[in-house]
Amino acid sequence: MNRKLFIVSFVLIAALLASVSVFGGGSRETAPGEVVITWPTHWVGEMGAGPIIRELVDEFNALHAGEIRVVLEAHPEADAAEDVIRTRLAAGQPPDFFLFKLGPTTEVYYETGLLMDLTDELERDGWGATFDPGALAVSTINGEVRSLPIETALTPIWYNTRLFEEAGIDEFPTTIDEFWEAADRLLEIGVVPTSQMTGGANAWTSMLWYTHLVGSIGGPDVWDRAWDDPAFEEAAGIMKRMYQEYTTRDAIGAGPGESSAHFMNERTAMFVNGPWFVSNIRDNAPDVHAVTRLAPAPSAGDYHGHQVGWLLTSAAAAHTDDPARRDAVVQWFRFLTHPDNIKRQSLGRGSLMPVAFEIGPEDNVDPLQQQFIEAGNNATFLIDGIEAVMPVHVVQEFGQALSAMVLRDLPPSEFVALMRAAAE
Amino acid sequence: MKKNKTLVQKNTWWIILFTAPVFVLLLMFFVYPLISLTITSFMETAGFGSATFVGFGNFSRLFNNSVFRMSIRNNLIWAGSAAFLQVPLALLIALVLARQPAGWRFFRSAYFLPNVISLVALAMLWRAVYNPYYGILNGLLNLLGLDHLSRNWLGELETVLPALIISYQIYVGYFVIILYAGTLSISKSLYEAAEIDGANVFQQEIYISIPALRGFILSSVTLAVAFAFRQFETTFLMTAGGPANQSSVMALFMHRRMSAFQNGMASAVGILLVIIGIVVMKGLQVIFGMRSAAIEDAQQ
Amino acid sequence: MRSDVLRETPIVIQYTAKAGKWILLIGYLGVAILPLLWLGMSSFKTEFEIISAPLSLPQSLHYENFVNAIRISGLHRFFLNSFIVATCATTFNLFICSLAAFAVARERWRLRSTFLTFSTAMVLVPIISFMVPYYALILRLGLFNSIWALVLTYTAINIPISLFLITNFMKALPSELDDSAVIDGCNFWQRFSKIVLPLTKPGLATAGTFAVIGSWNEFVYAMLLTSSERARTVQFAVRFFSSEFRDDYGGMFAAIVLTMIPTIFIYILMHDKIVSGVTAGAVKG
Repeated sequence: MNRKLFIVSFVLIAALLASVSVFGGGSRETAPGEVVITWPTHWVGEMGAGPIIRELVDEFNALHAGEIRVVLEAHPEADAAEDVIRTRLAAGQPPDFFLFKLGPTTEVYYETGLLMDLTDELERDGWGATFDPGALAVSTINGEVRSLPIETALTPIWYNTRLFEEAGIDEFPTTIDEFWEAADRLLEIGVVPTSQMTGGANAWTSMLWYTHLVGSIGGPDVWDRAWDDPAFEEAAGIMKRMYQEYTTRDAIGAGPGESSAHFMNERTAMFVNGPWFVSNIRDNAPDVHAVTRLAPAPSAGDYHGHQVGWLLTSAAAAHTDDPARRDAVVQWFRFLTHPDNIKRQSLGRGSLMPVAFEIGPEDNVDPLQQQFIEAGNNATFLIDGIEAVMPVHVVQEFGQALSAMVLRDLPPSEFVALMRAAAE
Repeated sequence: MKKNKTLVQKNTWWIILFTAPVFVLLLMFFVYPLISLTITSFMETAGFGSATFVGFGNFSRLFNNSVFRMSIRNNLIWAGSAAFLQVPLALLIALVLARQPAGWRFFRSAYFLPNVISLVALAMLWRAVYNPYYGILNGLLNLLGLDHLSRNWLGELETVLPALIISYQIYVGYFVIILYAGTLSISKSLYEAAEIDGANVFQQEIYISIPALRGFILSSVTLAVAFAFRQFETTFLMTAGGPANQSSVMALFMHRRMSAFQNGMASAVGILLVIIGIVVMKGLQVIFGMRSAAIEDAQQ
Repeated sequence: MRSDVLRETPIVIQYTAKAGKWILLIGYLGVAILPLLWLGMSSFKTEFEIISAPLSLPQSLHYENFVNAIRISGLHRFFLNSFIVATCATTFNLFICSLAAFAVARERWRLRSTFLTFSTAMVLVPIISFMVPYYALILRLGLFNSIWALVLTYTAINIPISLFLITNFMKALPSELDDSAVIDGCNFWQRFSKIVLPLTKPGLATAGTFAVIGSWNEFVYAMLLTSSERARTVQFAVRFFSSEFRDDYGGMFAAIVLTMIPTIFIYILMHDKIVSGVTAGAVKG
């Protein structure tokens, strides 16, 4: 390896790079007066929200050709997209437009002064009235709306009616005693009653089961009394029993893949997830999709018929002093959250939205998706998922505390103590 | 050695020129971020803007946190496995390969392949291998009539860490490469002389190869221990630290604090990770009886 | 030549050694190759087959995974970027690290061991905690969303390992080499380029392999420091198959297989050539 070799390799590399700058300079020039709104997002690709979002962006750009252009900056992995947004905000460079999960941890985004205040805009032309008041209330902090609700989560209990019939269970149990009875019957025909999981980022399935139970014991405001209400301990006791007798052997440590695969393979008869999972089960296990029904959780206390549902995704924009830019961003916000476009998003990707819209028979809604809409309408009340009410470090501890309770055979009070310690 | 001393004055500018690029990049990409990390580690950060000086507050909170203590313990176990399992295994393989058995070229290339596979895919594979329903491990045990030993490997307190560490040994190839490259620098005449003296293969390896490879063994141990300390992806993808935080490690703990916006705590973990890592690295170098000065003397 | 020795050692030891040797070689070969075969096999399965029965054979071969891998993610468009980033970062990294390693390993100056110790300790740094500083640095250098951001970052973050490895390889060379070179009238640069560097090829190959693989597979900073396709690498394309609530493992694995092929190829081709070149002649008695 002598000097000549180095020179040759440098020349080669330089040539390569020159060729790249020719190929790579594909980014379009900005027309004078055109406002470009860059949107780094994980809503890309061919699954989930990708196709419908791309369609809406193209439409909006065509509508405002030469004036406003929304540019999708693809960050296909959701976690990585969160990292990118957090980092840019921390560096004081917020993206023009972005999505995030509004919760006790991300609330600090509001305090940075980097987000556009939309409070006054919502007053105009009744724009604010199109949003679900509850979701909008959550998005209002210190009287300011700096993000708009854009997607809702609703996570009823899913059950396999074929397996239930086989086990001789006619109706989904409404009380916890009926539930244990039904679970025993399922075991008798060799079916594991529930899918559970302590793994993944937040023990998703089990976290939702737990929240259902907590709601049925403690009622709508139970989270306001978090970790003090006896509901938290009682629900933990029920979870412990489910893990000990009525779930799969791999539940401890299982992730979303394992827990959903068990339900789709009819190894388990019950499961909890949101509407986004409908397309997954429809594509992968159409037979199970056909026999799946949704129900409210069995009641372990005074309340029944509620659902776990919360504001899942919010959209925000960077604060700007340029009125033209501000106006452009607001137009894009209005376009994206217009009831017609909200409906297209909802039907296009199977999600529930915090904006009301009409569905007619001509819309050809997936039957399971239709059940979601009904489940939301029929719910006696909604209770937030943990990620909406607890900071991230507490949410992350849920699966750990749950597995500690089951594996170490701790009393449910210890589970609550672990969660309380995490919350400190 | 004396001669080298006289070169110092003559070559000062050359030395500065040669080290400058690395020095500048280290400043930009390591020193500057580390300094800001250190400053943040003494701050209580609520969100982004506000930060108040709390002295060693973050550190004392960390040491009072049982999950963090568990993470340190696990990192030490990881480091031990790196030094006493991974590197010896790699050494054994490298020595065998150096004797050029049939197909050695093929073996040498194949052994590095796991390093190329994406961690996401490997983690899925290992999760499947350890799964109690369709996993190979339980399947094997059942086949051997040892059903009572089958378990939920990644979901039990006793088995999760060993299972993770064993799955990590797939990366032995990394150190096989270093050690194998080291064997190339050993003069063949040494072995020829030993053969004439009647030394068998084992004696040759113990009295010739291993002493000659001491520097490379030390490099491997140092790197393996460093990787064990910053070990993150395997744990994150396979268990996320569970069950019951039994497999948590410091880098994972730090990552969780970061995603919870607790930057003060996260930075403190980062600093402690580096400090504890250096102490353990130095400690192992002493255990292996080869402080760098000693090697230099031996080799010169 | 060396196997002659076996004839002179006791038979029991001979056979134990032989058996042990092959158990080790073939056993680890299994560990090394099976995951690759599994990945290859899985890339022909459907999403549902992969999550339901990860270890069983595909029921039928789904070639369309590979078609999807390219169609959905535009994988092919990112190979050139990945190739340039990995090649440049590795070349720059090896070049500056071998310069510094030469100064550290073959010269005696006051702070050299401090320099090396500090650099080596940086192997421990969890660089994932440097997202904000790196982002700010790249912005300030005006490199955001260019492949140069990645080239620079990967050149830098691979320094601790490369410098450490190359220094160790250079230290292992006998010191008489420099002395005789000085007597022959070589200057500093010539001693580096003509004498020491050629003998460090196994070290360069080792460090280079790690740097290539590291640059090729890096994901966090590849996403953080770029914002459009002109600067994106193949790792971006691979992630197109995992959405928030669903992973298309068939497509993902097919994309992973396609992105792995060049690294395997480079490894087998380059590493084998360089190392065997050295074996053939360079090491003298």
